Amino acid sequence: MKHFLTDLYRSKAGLVGAVLIMVIVLVSLLAPVLDLPDPTRGDLRARLVGPTWTGLFTPGAHPLGTDEVGRDILSRLINGSRITLLVATTAVVLGGIVGTILGILAGYKGGLVDRILMRLVDIQLAVPLMLLALLVVAALGPSLRNVVLVLALTSWIRYARIIRAQVLSLREREFVQSAHAIGASTLRIMFLHILPNVLTPALVVGTLELARVIIMDSALSFLGLGVQPPTPSWGRMLADGRVYISSAWWAVTFPGLAIVLTVLSVNLFGDWLRDYFDPKTRSAK
Amino acid sequence: MIPAPLLDVQNLMRSFGGGKSLLGRPRPVINAINDVSFQVAAGETLGLVGESGSGKSTVGRAVLQLDPADSGSVRFAGTELTILGPQQMKPFRRRMQMIFQDPYSALNPRMKVGRFVAEPLVVHGVAGGSALTDRVADLFRLVGLDPSFMTRYPHEFSGGQRQRINIARAIALEPAFIVADEPITALDVSIQAQIINLFQDLQDQMGLAYLFIAHDLSMVRYLCQRVAVMLRGRIVEIAPTENIFSDPQHPYTRSLLAAIPVPDPDRKRPDRPPFAVSENIPPREAGMIEVSPGHFVLEHKK
Repeated sequence: MKHFLTDLYRSKAGLVGAVLIMVIVLVSLLAPVLDLPDPTRGDLRARLVGPTWTGLFTPGAHPLGTDEVGRDILSRLINGSRITLLVATTAVVLGGIVGTILGILAGYKGGLVDRILMRLVDIQLAVPLMLLALLVVAALGPSLRNVVLVLALTSWIRYARIIRAQVLSLREREFVQSAHAIGASTLRIMFLHILPNVLTPALVVGTLELARVIIMDSALSFLGLGVQPPTPSWGRMLADGRVYISSAWWAVTFPGLAIVLTVLSVNLFGDWLRDYFDPKTRSAK
Repeated sequence: MIPAPLLDVQNLMRSFGGGKSLLGRPRPVINAINDVSFQVAAGETLGLVGESGSGKSTVGRAVLQLDPADSGSVRFAGTELTILGPQQMKPFRRRMQMIFQDPYSALNPRMKVGRFVAEPLVVHGVAGGSALTDRVADLFRLVGLDPSFMTRYPHEFSGGQRQRINIARAIALEPAFIVADEPITALDVSIQAQIINLFQDLQDQMGLAYLFIAHDLSMVRYLCQRVAVMLRGRIVEIAPTENIFSDPQHPYTRSLLAAIPVPDPDRKRPDRPPFAVSENIPPREAGMIEVSPGHFVLEHKK
């Protein structure tokens, strides 16, 4: 753990990513105590008010401006981050669990199980993920639960592929042979000998997937198939604000920036995590 | 052989490849082991030597049913193993174990070594709770490790220590027979002797029989009562150790013996015609001839 922190401290990009993630998570967790204006209550007398930098310290002012129905953009961003982070982490964890288990199954069992699972992955990869997500949401109806499900559905294949490849090489390692030699059951081998050795790659895929899923969630909201209004979401804010892009730049810029910063920080941290756990790049330092 | 052998292997065959590639070209068939027969008595050490790729390890894995043979028979204490399913095989796994060549790859990097050594006891329901911990501590002492190491992870150990951990795991169930697949090849020379001595001590204490796979003939001479020499998947000579070293019959055995280094800089290696494996592939129909009691050699060109 100590080595983890010193190594993180030494890597500029990884550190920036980690600090940004912490700030974003902290702010979204603290949203209820921050005394923000109601993110869903509009004020038609204060439509599309521009950002006022001193507004942070004046109660009732709008530091990042308001949107087309007079809702406070800062409050909507922070409250939206709660939804976005909740949706993204749940989807990534759900996809991770399913993908890791199926990846281990495919890699370890091989044969018919492997072929069926991998062809399923191939088929899904052949369909554009966005199209798939649209189809599923359109069929099931947009709701928080369905958005999480559909994002997890687009996520599991990436885990499954990478974990399977890992398992294929692990399977031939002598400690797995040794587990056979003592008569350990297949389940025991898969969960005690294989699973702990693929958790690291799964974690790294997870961070990279988190960034992708945040973008996808925003895209779904942008298309109106994500979390439904008036619940604030970044993609939705982007979609609503784009009409006023020439007259009220703040309505699209701040949600856009929020997406970019979050995705960037998760990516930076994920990249560093991948290098950290890769023995080859670690020893090169 | 008057007492029934502990392990009786007859006409074992295993081939890889075959079938057709994606483009319909036939794949070559490689006979990794070809008509291999031998016996191991209780408490005996049989050395299995030969060059890389001669099929030594495949024999070891086939005997333990880790990579079952295509045909042939493996009888352990009178029971035919090749026809058993995984569940029926389980009781026999208690009595036969394997020690692997690479002590780094043989330990699960994410499992504490105490738990790793305890695993066979847990799988077979032999011990649990504090009895289990005590038993594992005993095993650690038996192989010359401090029981306080139990809570550490494999990367904290040297190669020799790791091999001791592997040995502790292999003997946990008090087996009667162990396949040791080049167990000292990956170790420093100074550590090799320690591990060999450990093998002998355990044999004396527990009456273990070993199938000792190696390519270091001096170690084999030291440790084994009998030696089998493999070439291209076949046993070309099998005999008591002294016969192999004093009276080698097969040209391949002779060439192996001539390759043992002599620690004397003044003694130049005698010029000898190199042994060409390709000209000495044992003919398919060749049979074993008994040249003296217990000393068998495959028919060959003089």
